Amino acid sequence: MESRLFQNLLSTLLLLLLLPFLLAMGSASLASQGRALLQWKASLQSQGLSLQSWKPSASPCNWTGVTCNVTRRGLRVITEIYLSNTSLVGTLDALNFSALPSLTNLNLSFNQLDGTIPPTIATLFKMSSLDLTSNQLTGKIPFEIGSMRRLQFLNLSENQISGSIPPSLANLSRLNYLLLYGNSLSGTIPEELGRLRNLVFLKLADNLLTGFIPPSLGNLTRLYKLALYDNKLSGTIPQELGNLASLVKLVISNNSLTGSIPSSLANLTMLSMLYLYNNNLTGTVPRSFDNLRNLTDVRLFNNSFSGSLPAFKNLVFLDLLGNNFSGYLPPELCSGGMLQHLVVSYNNFEGPTPRSLRNCSSLTRVRMERNQLSGNISESLGVYPYLNYIDLSFNQFSGNLSAKWGKCANITSLRISNNKITGKIPPEIGQLAQLRVLDLSSNFLVGEIPKNASMLVSLYQLNLSNNKLSGEVPKDIGKLSNLEILDLSKNNLSGRVPEKLGDCFKLRLLKLSSNNLNGNIPFQIGNPVNLLDLLDMSHNSLTGDIPSQISKLVILQDLNLSHNELSGLVPPSLRDMISLLSIDLSYNELEGPLPDSQFIRRSPIEWFAHNKGLCGEVQGLPPCHTFSTSKAGSAKHHKVVLLATVPVVGTLFLLFLFGGATFLLLRRRNNTVQDASQKMEGGAFSIWNFDGKDAYEDIIQSSPAKWQDSCCQKD
Amino acid sequence: MACRVFLVSFLLLLAASPAISTNSEGAVLRALKARLSDPSNVLQSWDASLVNPCTWFHVTCDAHNRVIRLDLGNSNVSGPLAPELGHLQDLQYLELYGNNFEGRIPEELGNLKSLISMDLYGNRLEGGIPKSFAKLKSLRFLRLNNNKLSGSIPRELVTLSNLKIFDVSNNDLCGTIPIDGPFATFPLQSFDNNSRLNGPELQGLVPYDFGC
Repeated sequence: MESRLFQNLLSTLLLLLLLPFLLAMGSASLASQGRALLQWKASLQSQGLSLQSWKPSASPCNWTGVTCNVTRRGLRVITEIYLSNTSLVGTLDALNFSALPSLTNLNLSFNQLDGTIPPTIATLFKMSSLDLTSNQLTGKIPFEIGSMRRLQFLNLSENQISGSIPPSLANLSRLNYLLLYGNSLSGTIPEELGRLRNLVFLKLADNLLTGFIPPSLGNLTRLYKLALYDNKLSGTIPQELGNLASLVKLVISNNSLTGSIPSSLANLTMLSMLYLYNNNLTGTVPRSFDNLRNLTDVRLFNNSFSGSLPAFKNLVFLDLLGNNFSGYLPPELCSGGMLQHLVVSYNNFEGPTPRSLRNCSSLTRVRMERNQLSGNISESLGVYPYLNYIDLSFNQFSGNLSAKWGKCANITSLRISNNKITGKIPPEIGQLAQLRVLDLSSNFLVGEIPKNASMLVSLYQLNLSNNKLSGEVPKDIGKLSNLEILDLSKNNLSGRVPEKLGDCFKLRLLKLSSNNLNGNIPFQIGNPVNLLDLLDMSHNSLTGDIPSQISKLVILQDLNLSHNELSGLVPPSLRDMISLLSIDLSYNELEGPLPDSQFIRRSPIEWFAHNKGLCGEVQGLPPCHTFSTSKAGSAKHHKVVLLATVPVVGTLFLLFLFGGATFLLLRRRNNTVQDASQKMEGGAFSIWNFDGKDAYEDIIQSSPAKWQDSCCQKD
Repeated sequence: MACRVFLVSFLLLLAASPAISTNSEGAVLRALKARLSDPSNVLQSWDASLVNPCTWFHVTCDAHNRVIRLDLGNSNVSGPLAPELGHLQDLQYLELYGNNFEGRIPEELGNLKSLISMDLYGNRLEGGIPKSFAKLKSLRFLRLNNNKLSGSIPRELVTLSNLKIFDVSNNDLCGTIPIDGPFATFPLQSFDNNSRLNGPELQGLVPYDFGC
């Protein structure tokens, strides 16, 4: 009897003891896990189509995005939830994490979840991969996450998370990937993160982090990629980073780092990518970087580095723009045969281009402008079939432009301005069908502009100014229908301005000044009606009239025809050029009235000085007489001719009168009385008429075409 | 003490000043490109991976790598004008004429405080002339002719004392033509072919809505 009571008591006790476990098992049951997920689903504002299968009637293991596993006890439990890019809108607040203890993988990336990350997420103690990338989560990273000891992959990137990185994350000893980029995290990088010995990827980029890079990060010996770029980090690059024996990618660009590159970084034998650009770094690149055989992508631009470069060999990408580097470019730079992108502009490099560049057929983009590089480019450069862009301007390169350039079929921009290039422009240049920009200005090029230049149909900018080119402007330049900027100024070009230039309807800037161009300005010059910026043909030997069609250029801002031999009238239609901000017609042979417009009336005299006989309402110019051909009769027209002729006429009349009187007196002696006034009529002296107006009209009749509006010229 | 407070506030203000980086100017232009159809590949060189847009074709920068000109006239592009263009604070020349730009002229273009010339003529733009253009204090040339613009000419534009050319001909504007400020100098042809534009405004009278 007693043993039975005891047995009952024992079983009850056992039951009581086991009850929590039974209850726990019950709470970890699939049904309760499913209920927790359904509760969360109900809280969401929208879910797209993916959660349609989430119904109480179906087993959670069959729900979309849900993966189950079987425990050792034979229970089915939810282990993974994958709902990336499923249009989820809502928060995580209603998700009862503690009801999902078996969850190891949770991926809710690329949705529109907002609100904060609940600290209760830390109850997912079996979690190994947590991915909430690319949502709109706010608030802080809960420090509780540091207790999720099994976490190997943590990605909270591309949200609006703020606050600082909790040092407790250092407890995640199994962590391989820590990705927090693209948030508003502030404060410093906790030095405790140096304890994460298993870390392979550390990406804290694109945040508001300040302070120094902790030297303790040098302990992360398994680290493959360290990305701290796009922050406000300051201080120096710790030399301890030289201990990162596995490091392949070091990206700390776009910060405010100072100091120099520690020479210890030469120990990073696996290093392939080194981005330090847009910082305030100084000093030299350690010579020992010679040994970094795996280095392929080096971007140090926009710092204050100095000194010469190590003997880089296997690079694919080198960008050093905007530093104080000096010395020679490494000769073996392209010995690996893989160099594509070579940008060394705005430095103090000198000497020749690297000899390995000659056969560097992999090149796609080359910028060396603004250095003191020299050498003969017809020898030092080769053929580059993939080259898209090259700028060698503002150096001391010499030699010719070789015909090899014609084989760079993909080139869109060829700039070698401001060097010492000699010889002729090779006709092979015409083969460059993709060429958009050709700038060979400020060199010593001679010979003619090749006729083939008219084959460059993609060309929108052509600048050959300040050379010693001779011959004519190619007649079929009009075929360059995409031409927007044409500058051939400061050469020895001769011949006429081609009328086909009028076919370049996209032209916005035309400069032919300082040449030996002759003949008339073709009337077709008025055709490119989009001519906006500048039309400058000054300092030539252009003759004839200014064609009135020039006034079609109603958008033109600056017109310079000075220092030529243009004659005749300034076309009255010039007043239609309402956009002009300046006009220079000085040093020509122009005469007659200037067009009457407010703009012209307000112009300084310098714009019209040194001509044959211009007149008009400009201060400093003589006012004009009223011409019968002039437009819009103005009462203000002064009689210039009258003023000129009256004193002359008066003097001559007096002289004649005196002479006539003397003659008459002499005649009187011979008894012939004649009326003095009658003597004045008829014959050669009839022109000296007292009436000024009639005198003018007589002058007009004596020289028919001179004062009339000149138009419709052709050549 | 007050001196120190002042210094700190000044420095904070400096730090907070929205000096848009050149990278962001590239982002502005990429936003424009993203919405455009470009059959002639005029924007092919607009490479997002380049650190600034200064080597892109049809983009001109100054010595500080700030975009000062955008020359896309007659380029056969179609699509909307990106409002982001208003962020280009150093832009002097906005040349988008002779294309198929459509939709409205964004108000944001009124933020282009350095603008000297805006040529949107010869497109298919509709809607009104933004009142915000009154902020374009450096503007000398404004050509909006040959579009499908409607509404009235904002009176606010009379404050643009540097405006030399204003062409809105060949549109569908209505109301009256302002006569103050620079409008006194604009020839009548600037307003031609706007069938509902009612001629110069009559001053001294109650403003009359001509059904605009």
